[in-house]
Amino acid sequence: MNQPEQIRQLPEYAELTRARRKIVWPLSIAVIVAYFALILAIAFSPTSLGAPIGDGVTSIGVALGLSIILFCMVITGIYVTYANRVIEPLTRAIVQKAGELK
Amino acid sequence: MKLKTLFACSLAFLAAAAWADTAPKPPVNITAITMFLAFVLVTLGITYWAARRTKTTADFYAAGGGITGFQNGLAIAGDYMSAASFLGIAGLVYTSGFDGLIYAIGFLVGWPIVLLLIAEPLRNLGKYTFADVASFRLQQKPIRILAASGSLVTVIFYLIAQLVGAGKLIEVLFGLPYQSAVIIVGVLMTLYVTFGGMLATTWVQLIKAILLLSGASLMALLVLYHFGFSFENMFAEATKVHAKGTAIMAPGTLVSDPISAISLGMALMFGTAGLPHILMRFFTVKDAVQARRSVFYATGFIGYFYILTFIIGFGAIVLLLNNPNYFADGKLVGGTNMAAIHLSHALGGDILLGFISAVAFATILAVVSGLTLAGSSAISHDLYATLVLKGERNEKKEIRASRIATVCLGVIAVLLGIVFENQNVAFMVGLAFCVAASANFPILLLSMYWRKLTTRGAVIGGSLGLITALVLVVIGPTVWVDAFHFEKAIFPFKYPAIFSVSVAFIGIWLFSILDKSATAKAEEAAFDAQFVRSQTGIGISAAAEH
Repeated sequence: MNQPEQIRQLPEYAELTRARRKIVWPLSIAVIVAYFALILAIAFSPTSLGAPIGDGVTSIGVALGLSIILFCMVITGIYVTYANRVIEPLTRAIVQKAGELK
Repeated sequence: MKLKTLFACSLAFLAAAAWADTAPKPPVNITAITMFLAFVLVTLGITYWAARRTKTTADFYAAGGGITGFQNGLAIAGDYMSAASFLGIAGLVYTSGFDGLIYAIGFLVGWPIVLLLIAEPLRNLGKYTFADVASFRLQQKPIRILAASGSLVTVIFYLIAQLVGAGKLIEVLFGLPYQSAVIIVGVLMTLYVTFGGMLATTWVQLIKAILLLSGASLMALLVLYHFGFSFENMFAEATKVHAKGTAIMAPGTLVSDPISAISLGMALMFGTAGLPHILMRFFTVKDAVQARRSVFYATGFIGYFYILTFIIGFGAIVLLLNNPNYFADGKLVGGTNMAAIHLSHALGGDILLGFISAVAFATILAVVSGLTLAGSSAISHDLYATLVLKGERNEKKEIRASRIATVCLGVIAVLLGIVFENQNVAFMVGLAFCVAASANFPILLLSMYWRKLTTRGAVIGGSLGLITALVLVVIGPTVWVDAFHFEKAIFPFKYPAIFSVSVAFIGIWLFSILDKSATAKAEEAAFDAQFVRSQTGIGISAAAEH
């Protein structure tokens, strides 16, 4: 059995791919949904985005737009924190075991 | 020997700049020219230092892999925050308010996707260009030719757009004639890349990113100070003075139909993940951890920068519309793209104007350098090393080829910049993003995540995506009507990404599953080993040697 195949058999490897799947897909879908929801709102209902919040002139669209920029920063922050806490130790364990496999 | 040439070239440049000074054009902006020359001198000094350290191909393409995540994040942000996005988005906000924000968001949302799906496996699988990743288990020759073509087309359109924008901007800002402006930019970018490779290009990018972020922060602070740090006050004043009134707080004419809206969204989101000069930055860091960190910082800087740009655009509405000094014949002097520049004068007089002008020029220089390096790497590493050297390892020849390619690209870019002087450059940026989204991104993504991808599928589908994007742009309104002056466009939409990206994905899928050859089976079988490496990075240190 070659090395990649041996790594695939490690319990840590299964855990690693599971850990990644658990974070990568929900976050990617969250970004794509948030962005295309805004794009579709722009395309189909521009006036509702132009509606002011409360009595002021600041519109819902501007608030949403700026929130999406902040949302992108938060998403990357969440991923990096999770990756450092969960993915890194697993990867390190696999790299160490892979060294012993040779 | 090389360094002597560098010095000779720099002297020639300074002489050219001095001559151009005396051109009988708009008033010469001394503060800006002084600050810009200081930037050029510092960066040439860095190029001199980097040239002595650039010996191997790893040094030339990837700065020896020794850039930290934070530095690289700043450099990525530097590559991404072009003068076009600073001046263009501020100008768009100035003319139509909310619409500018649509672009700003579109340019940012690609980044979480790059972080989540691309950055780490890319760093684990590749060496210098994204073609390394796509050809990891597929056949080298056809995949590299295709990936290099996609990279080159993207790079050249982006380069033309930057150079034409640069020439126009410098004409207004520094009072230099258009052609000498384009030549100066072309000569400098060629110098940085030829002599300093990725190391010098990265440092040019870092300095520029810091200058741009601090300049924009200062402007935004001064604007907010004017409104007592209240967004509501700022928006209220802006809607009072703007001709469109409260309409600037809602989506306007930028995207008029759902197809265009989705298409623009797709081009911006997926295009980001296929820009070769950005992808190349992931090979300058040591490992996947640093690659991940790079995108985190880059997203933070870029998002922050676009919020600043938005504030600057609204500041321009209030502070410029009330001031007739910035208008000639009822129009903003130099066009709406100059809104941010005029605002800097309104906020901080000649000194801030000089500083922001110099930063804008430095920005163009840094971005075109990054692009040129990506283009020359596609030629030397993907085409020359694979096709001419046939995989034979010869670092000297490969570096020489990249230097020659850089000089050629520099010459071509300057010539095209002069030829396209009066062309609408917006469509070229759009085209670059569209090609990146339709040709580069699908191949990159599927090669990393889809087991059944075959060489045949990637080549046919990727080419179809590339061709569809090009053809639809040419027969669409921007080229067919605006550039060729035909009455009606054959293809009615400005942004074709929804079609060309779909064509690419469907083409790749269809021709991959139809491929029943023995090589297709071998490529499928090689997926597991590739995936293990893309997830763990095991095997990478051994590979980084060659």
